[in-house]
Amino acid sequence: MPAVPRALAPSGRTLAAHLFTLSTLVAWEIASRHVPVFLLPGPVLVAGQLWALLTTSAGLAQVGASLFHVAMALAGAFLVGTLVALLPYYVGGLRLAIDQRLTPFLNAFPGIGWTLLAILWLGLGLKTVIFAVGIILVPFMIINIREGVRTVDRDLLEMAASFGANRWREFIRIVLPSLLPFMFSAVRVSFGVAWKVTLTAELFGGTRGLGYTMNVARQELETPQIYAVIVLIIAIVYLANRFLFDPLQRRLQVGSRSPA
Amino acid sequence: MLSGWRGMRMGQRALAEGLVVLALLGWWWSSLELPATVLPSPPVVGRRLIGILTTPALSWHVAVTTLRVLLSVATALLAGLLLALLAQAVPWLTGIIMDRILVWLNGMPSVGWAILAVIWFKVSDFTVIFVQVMILLPFSLINFAEGLRNLDRELIEMAMSFAGRRADVIRKVVLPMLLPYGVAALRISYGVCWKIALISELFGAQSGLGYLMLQAQAVGDATTVLATCFLIVILFALGEAALINPLARKLRSDLAEA
Repeated sequence: MPAVPRALAPSGRTLAAHLFTLSTLVAWEIASRHVPVFLLPGPVLVAGQLWALLTTSAGLAQVGASLFHVAMALAGAFLVGTLVALLPYYVGGLRLAIDQRLTPFLNAFPGIGWTLLAILWLGLGLKTVIFAVGIILVPFMIINIREGVRTVDRDLLEMAASFGANRWREFIRIVLPSLLPFMFSAVRVSFGVAWKVTLTAELFGGTRGLGYTMNVARQELETPQIYAVIVLIIAIVYLANRFLFDPLQRRLQVGSRSPA
Repeated sequence: MLSGWRGMRMGQRALAEGLVVLALLGWWWSSLELPATVLPSPPVVGRRLIGILTTPALSWHVAVTTLRVLLSVATALLAGLLLALLAQAVPWLTGIIMDRILVWLNGMPSVGWAILAVIWFKVSDFTVIFVQVMILLPFSLINFAEGLRNLDRELIEMAMSFAGRRADVIRKVVLPMLLPYGVAALRISYGVCWKIALISELFGAQSGLGYLMLQAQAVGDATTVLATCFLIVILFALGEAALINPLARKLRSDLAEA
């Protein structure tokens, strides 16, 4: 008997995973027939709800609203996060203030707290959701981009200065390219988090969107609708990783490996 | 050179604390113009914070939340380690755990867990801890799986040939090698758990800081909402300094002795 069992061949691993998915669905369907529908609606019922969410104009309006919230919050957090992360690079004295005061504070502040405060400050609606999600994402952006700012090549900068490059050219030619991979992972991490916290923010502070839909469903005990929203969020995060971020990351790595 | 460096450090420090004071002053100044239901002033929030900690009926909520967090972190670490070991040791489980269960846990929104758990288990301590463990599980599983992937295989095979008993090898060789990853899992889980503690208590509990906060928000009591948020930040920082850092140091020194 080998000490560490060899892993299955990739095809075996995939086969086992597919079989697991299939048997889970079957077990889910069987279980759903023995308990009330508000506790556990079956997969067929949930799939029907999901289909309705993605094909009716009412459903698509909610999906679109969430998409808009996520996009605006991501853009805002990216902008703020990049600015804050770059600040200590240009004003060296601020390093401690940002790395050991602002970022840990934002990072430890509970997201639901921002959401409830935003409701008190801005009322229910678009502004509240975008503010709450955006400010929750800011520390993720700062932490990732700060990591990149630390790796900017000092020697390269000195050389550029000795050739008379001005600050702006230096930023475009040297700082920005070395930040790109870190900005990418900042957005990648934030994207997954954004969908999840948007759901929470919309649930408490929204007037539309998937989280709002879920809250209505929760109050009316429309459990199939709740399951459908959850399945949709998991699918969005998974598909974006698989078909958007993974290929982009591969491309980025190939690009950075090319000789300088 | 050293004194120059130290001077710079002092300057940074002064600037950092100065900015914190400035932020507090800015908060205080804006609160003068705004009603207390929108933005209460820092002293008011500070007094409420101390009130929560010193009134037995309220500090009980703090204790309940803290206990739930510690219990959930411990359970999630154990469950994550178990799943990672299973994925590594049983070939046909690798794909199931890493390509299915992990993907699903990772994509599952925390508020989804919070709502479903209440539908399934009603309002109870178990519900809250269940929600927290499910949210923490992917973090701890990813860290332990990463550790197992980086294990020194040759060392394990050698240990196997000497000791022979699988349980002994796991306890004396595999677990110590996993320790750094366990510490990372502990740190991440602890941090995340404080942040999501409130969400898990919003629907599923009649006690705890999340419950307190939602009650306050419902009547427009911004003072208590803010005080609860700062309390979470403080409790997190205190726990990290008093519990997590010493534990991580001790685990590391144990490893060095072994």
